[in-house]
Amino acid sequence: MALPKRIIKETERLMAEPVKGISAVPHEDNLRYFDVTIDGPGQSPYEGGVFKLELFLPDDYPMTPPKIRFLTKIYHPNIDRLGRICLDVLKSNWSPALQIRTILLSIQALLGAPNPDDPLANDVAQKWKEDEKGAIETARQWTEQYAKP
Amino acid sequence: MSSASQPIPPPNDRRGSRSSRSSSNAGFPEPMNSSDIAASESSGFVVGGPPGSPSPLALRASTSPHRRKSRGARIPPDFHLLDYVNTPDSNLICLICHCPFDRPVRLACEHYFCRICLDHAWDAQPEGCKTCPTCRHKVDADEEPLPVPKILERMLDELLVRCPNSKLGCPWVEQRSNLENHVMLYCEYALVECPASDCRLPVSQKDCHKGCLHYSVSCDNCHTSLLRKDLEDHQRATCQFRFAPCPHCSAELLRLDLNAHINDVCPKATVQCPGSIVGCKYSAERETVAEHETACPMATMAPFFRDQQARIERNEARFEPLVRKVGILEDGLSNITNMLYPANANDSSFPVTNPLDSNNPDAFPPAPLMPTPDFRLPPASFPPAPHNNDQSHSQPPFDSQIHHLLTLHDSLRDELSRVASALSELEGRTSMMIMNENQRVKEEMLHTNAAINGMRVQLHWLMSATLHQRTSASASSSATRAGGSASASGSGRSSASGTPTTGGATMRGPAVGMPPLRRLSDSIRQDTKL
Repeated sequence: MALPKRIIKETERLMAEPVKGISAVPHEDNLRYFDVTIDGPGQSPYEGGVFKLELFLPDDYPMTPPKIRFLTKIYHPNIDRLGRICLDVLKSNWSPALQIRTILLSIQALLGAPNPDDPLANDVAQKWKEDEKGAIETARQWTEQYAKP
Repeated sequence: MSSASQPIPPPNDRRGSRSSRSSSNAGFPEPMNSSDIAASESSGFVVGGPPGSPSPLALRASTSPHRRKSRGARIPPDFHLLDYVNTPDSNLICLICHCPFDRPVRLACEHYFCRICLDHAWDAQPEGCKTCPTCRHKVDADEEPLPVPKILERMLDELLVRCPNSKLGCPWVEQRSNLENHVMLYCEYALVECPASDCRLPVSQKDCHKGCLHYSVSCDNCHTSLLRKDLEDHQRATCQFRFAPCPHCSAELLRLDLNAHINDVCPKATVQCPGSIVGCKYSAERETVAEHETACPMATMAPFFRDQQARIERNEARFEPLVRKVGILEDGLSNITNMLYPANANDSSFPVTNPLDSNNPDAFPPAPLMPTPDFRLPPASFPPAPHNNDQSHSQPPFDSQIHHLLTLHDSLRDELSRVASALSELEGRTSMMIMNENQRVKEEMLHTNAAINGMRVQLHWLMSATLHQRTSASASSSATRAGGSASASGSGRSSASGTPTTGGATMRGPAVGMPPLRRLSDSIRQDTKL
């Protein structure tokens, strides 16, 4: 199937005007598959880390959301051990007016503002609620350990 | 809609042939398309570039319209795949497809989308809770989507686009509103099915009339084997021996263009003076001829002569159908003549006389005054007018068949007008007769009326006299007797016989009790009416 013009345009724009702290590069052999890196946001336990993700645009993109997963291990209440992300715009709240760029910005924002009330990794969320300082410390250690460039 | 700027649509038959062609190979696109996709996918693997350079993407993007066009039939352009000359204003971009709007619609929240994009987006949403893709505002499915302002459509129509076949060489660049016409009707680079019935490969519209070009040839210069349809491109762009020097001016140019160069351009080639068509014998190199032309009177006159010649040829060409038409008309007229006067068809010398004339000699002027050719009709073959007729010496022979026909036509027309005037005269006479008759009948009726009136008066007088006698005779029962004479005829008869029946009168007397005179007058009036 031919690559839709929209994907081509989005990719061109991601290359030409990259968002600060985010990069997304398509695979040469599959232009629907992107290697993504997101810098941990400042004033968060993930500051200084560079997180790798994979992003795949399904056939009916942009009518269905892209599939995104963390490849780098991360200690976060909304991201489970397999790297899956609990984010409404990636599921029920997806809209075709959103794009790769905005989704990656949402994920970066999620790193800066964890939401333990809507958890995906239950143990992490529990810890986060009971001992926030400890949890943040663990997240920082994980970042140090796994997400250093 | 800028309909004024759109090209005039061609006649219907052109569309018709296109559409029939498209329907005839409805099954064709599928196999072609799939193989094409495979080819493009593999090429997608091969072409690659460093991140940041858009080259692989651009290449893929540019091949996609080409692939669509490779189907046999013309298909309408997809506005989402167009190549725009300038980067369109970001306000004209659909947020879903990231292209300039195609048939845009508006939502109540003032967000705009392509109709198709919005439909696709809503397909993914459950029925009854459609939302705006941008702001998630709930949409009223009965009212929305709304139409967009005209100015937006006009701005979109005015965007400059390239033809989807530009990669095949089509230089067309124009406003987007004209694109569909161009692609569907005019684009010479659109791929259509090969004219050969057993060949299923696509060919450009412009090469369609050359027949099937899908056979192998070898280039005359480099002896490479290739398809005939690619030969010209090869000789123009790739063949290593494609350049050759001009034998006259030794300029280096494409072998393909060499003949055109020698015939039209080369300054050293020997050519004739343009006045040669009117007899100038001068012939020299093109440069010298150009100088000679300014002085040669024949060269100056040549264009006018050429125009004249062309005009004469045109007129001759026009003359031909006219001659044929006249022949057809003559045949038709002779057929009509034969039908009207079948006796005349075989006998050329028999004069036909007007039946009207022989029947009513009084209604018309006398026969010798009439023009002679009227009733002498020619046979179908129109020979020269016969001279053996008793009346023909007064009329000169017809100098041509058409003249004869015209005269015949005129005389027939005269005849018709004569018949018409005779008819009207007859009509007037008849009406006059009827009026006279009427008058007489009326007078008679008046007479009769007067006579009846006289009789009535007499009867009245008689009746009153009788009554008077009876009253004087029997004064005792006068009232009853008057009542007895009330009924008109009965009393008349009784008075005539002179023996009135007293019993009947006494029976009627008390029942009626009316003055007798009125009754009498009533019955008389009824008689008058009759």
